[in-house]
Amino acid sequence: MSALPEPDAWQAAAARHNELFAALEPGARIGLVAREAPATMLLWEVGDAGIEVRDAPFPGFAASGADIVLAANAQALGEICSAVDAQLFVVLRAGIRSGAVVCYVLRRRCDLEAKGFEELLDALGFAFMGACR
Amino acid sequence: MKPGELKLPYLFQPGQFGRFKIKNRIKYGACCVSNYNTRDGFITEREIARMRIIARTGCGMITNQGAYPDPLGEGKAYFRQVAIFDDKFLPQFERIAADIKEQGAMAIQQILHAGRYGGIDLGYCIQPSDVPQTLPHFRPPKVMTKDEIRDCIRQHAEAADRAIRAGFDGTEITSFMGYLLANFNSRFTNQRSDEYGGSIENRGRFMRELIDGIKQATPDNPLVVRLNGAELMDKWGGNSEDECFELMRQAADAGVDMISVTVGWQEAPESSIGRDIPPGYWNYLSERAKKTCPNTLITFGNRLPDPRMADQCLRDGVFDFWEVCRPLLADPDLIHKAAEDRLDEARRCIGSLNCLSRLFRDLPYTCTMNPALGHEVEPEYQVTPAAVRKKVMIIGAGPAGMECAITAARRGHDVTVFDKAGRVGGNLYAYAMNDLARPDDLLSVISHYEVVAKRLGIEIRLNTEVHAKFMRSVLHQYDVCVVAAGARIDRVPFENMEGAEFMVDALDVAHGRITAGKRVVVIGGGKIGLTVAEALRKNQGAEVTVVEKDKRIAGDVKPSFKWRHASWVEELGIPCLTLSQPVKVTKEGVTVRDGKGVETFLPADTVILAAASKPAHELFHEFEWMVDELHGIGDALIPRGLEQAIQEGFRLGVRL
Repeated sequence: MSALPEPDAWQAAAARHNELFAALEPGARIGLVAREAPATMLLWEVGDAGIEVRDAPFPGFAASGADIVLAANAQALGEICSAVDAQLFVVLRAGIRSGAVVCYVLRRRCDLEAKGFEELLDALGFAFMGACR
Repeated sequence: MKPGELKLPYLFQPGQFGRFKIKNRIKYGACCVSNYNTRDGFITEREIARMRIIARTGCGMITNQGAYPDPLGEGKAYFRQVAIFDDKFLPQFERIAADIKEQGAMAIQQILHAGRYGGIDLGYCIQPSDVPQTLPHFRPPKVMTKDEIRDCIRQHAEAADRAIRAGFDGTEITSFMGYLLANFNSRFTNQRSDEYGGSIENRGRFMRELIDGIKQATPDNPLVVRLNGAELMDKWGGNSEDECFELMRQAADAGVDMISVTVGWQEAPESSIGRDIPPGYWNYLSERAKKTCPNTLITFGNRLPDPRMADQCLRDGVFDFWEVCRPLLADPDLIHKAAEDRLDEARRCIGSLNCLSRLFRDLPYTCTMNPALGHEVEPEYQVTPAAVRKKVMIIGAGPAGMECAITAARRGHDVTVFDKAGRVGGNLYAYAMNDLARPDDLLSVISHYEVVAKRLGIEIRLNTEVHAKFMRSVLHQYDVCVVAAGARIDRVPFENMEGAEFMVDALDVAHGRITAGKRVVVIGGGKIGLTVAEALRKNQGAEVTVVEKDKRIAGDVKPSFKWRHASWVEELGIPCLTLSQPVKVTKEGVTVRDGKGVETFLPADTVILAAASKPAHELFHEFEWMVDELHGIGDALIPRGLEQAIQEGFRLGVRL
């Protein structure tokens, strides 16, 4: 089974892309899971002191409390781990576009935008996604 | 027989569907919901007027758009979708069914439960399992209980019975494109552990029970099921093509009378019906369906817009009926033109997906190519003989000018079109020549105008620039002047920038009037800039950088095509510097300043200006006292796109 990135590296990645997280409301959560047999979720969570990172058991989508869950296949997880110190969002966006990463949205667009997700959605390529192509 | 019927004998040969004789092998497919109806599901006069046109397309079988079958609206996918959960809706269905049958066609009613894409008025959608959305447009999921599954099947059966009582000959259920039926069939959305999930046999159970329920409710009437030949969701854990065909076999064994083969889900990460997919690309799926289900009729039409291709497919046994929708939205006379051997006059569906882009903004659908679509009920949109025959001069042979010209000529006006260029098409021609998707589709718009203008006797004077001196030479010869001279790149904002004179105009490059070098910077990441940048990169191998002052590129691109440009830019390796503007241009390159004030020098042998366009409307002021009626249309008023150019040309043409 592929490993999720190290929490410290995940924390550093968020700090490096502060412009994407700066507008997020406290309580906003973005999860990363392995698509095959997801047991653990790596979370970016906005707390009072900014972005916090933690591992948590993955209880299923509905109970995860996340706003967005990125579910990556084994190969994509490897690429994410390799890119975590550099072009992380380029790799995530490419993974979503190619189908290697499924980006599940657990809130409607208006709710996500109200919570400050616009920049992050943009970085994940959502401005360019649409139905019926 | 008509001449075109002799040329396309397979398309125009009669067929049989259940106990119904079909006059030809053409099925109008309910590919789109119009959004013309009331918020509570009643069919409007606008819809009925549209269906009068569809009933007269000449198709042997006509499918009325999908109606949701449940009173809660869990199956409702679109803002103004029709409902069929109660007899109170039937009077309007009766009118549509009667009209279709009066034209000699078989009438089918589609029942559409949108499942994962439904519940548009609710805070949730229903699904077999808890699989969240991948597009934030849709609602969070609620898992169906077994009781709810049984209720849902009953509602479908009652809806089918209602449709037959309204006068329809048959019914249709649909999984296209990712609706409830597809949600049960697919491994992606069906992760149940009961008898409705797990194995493919179990996942297909809902479909088989649905087919059985409807067949029991309407035993004398045929049933069509629309099923994916490819979901294009397999990368996300959805069904493989093999599984899709296994489900087709299950449907056939369950007694469905016809299978409509479709492609893709709305959220699929791959393109299925857009302009970048070549016509005929998906035919192999239909061929496989014929082999998989040899005793069940197969209908197909995804990205198969041409009657000649359809005739060949019928000849080759690819399918039994050609299913066609969008090409008939673009040109409701397509089948008649095919029958009369006048296909060169047809308006081709160019796959811009304007129809679907609007549906996902909760707007009624329109068509880039057919400005009358959705306005059939309004007399103001009818092409009627002119009360006074006028001499009309039109300046500009682009889409706005040509649309106005042919509409005015059809009304009996005497029309002359002037253009300073040597060809018809205006900037559409330049766009087509640089388009990486399908230039042929865009060029078909131009050839349509050329053919129709010739048949209508419109005089086209090319290489003729109209200015004040020219106008004085033709003073009093014309009653009407229409300025359709388009737009050009606006250089004014850069007038005071050092080295502005070194920037070349993107339209000059696109038209081939200027040849760009091997190292290029394009100022402007909108439609024009991206199109030129992509073409230079792909076709000429140039090193290209795009500089865009806004936060994102493709701001003026249709929602259904933004993703395409974003993909091309990444695939071709074109860097896009957003929130950046040029501050100085030299022969060696351009200096740009980003949002933080940091300046960077980008070496370039060609700097192309593709910034905002400016309407070419100076002629309005010059001609104001020279002609009785003076009008402006298209980009000459406000620079926008092909759809607006065609719409405005038509709207002026019908009222001159």
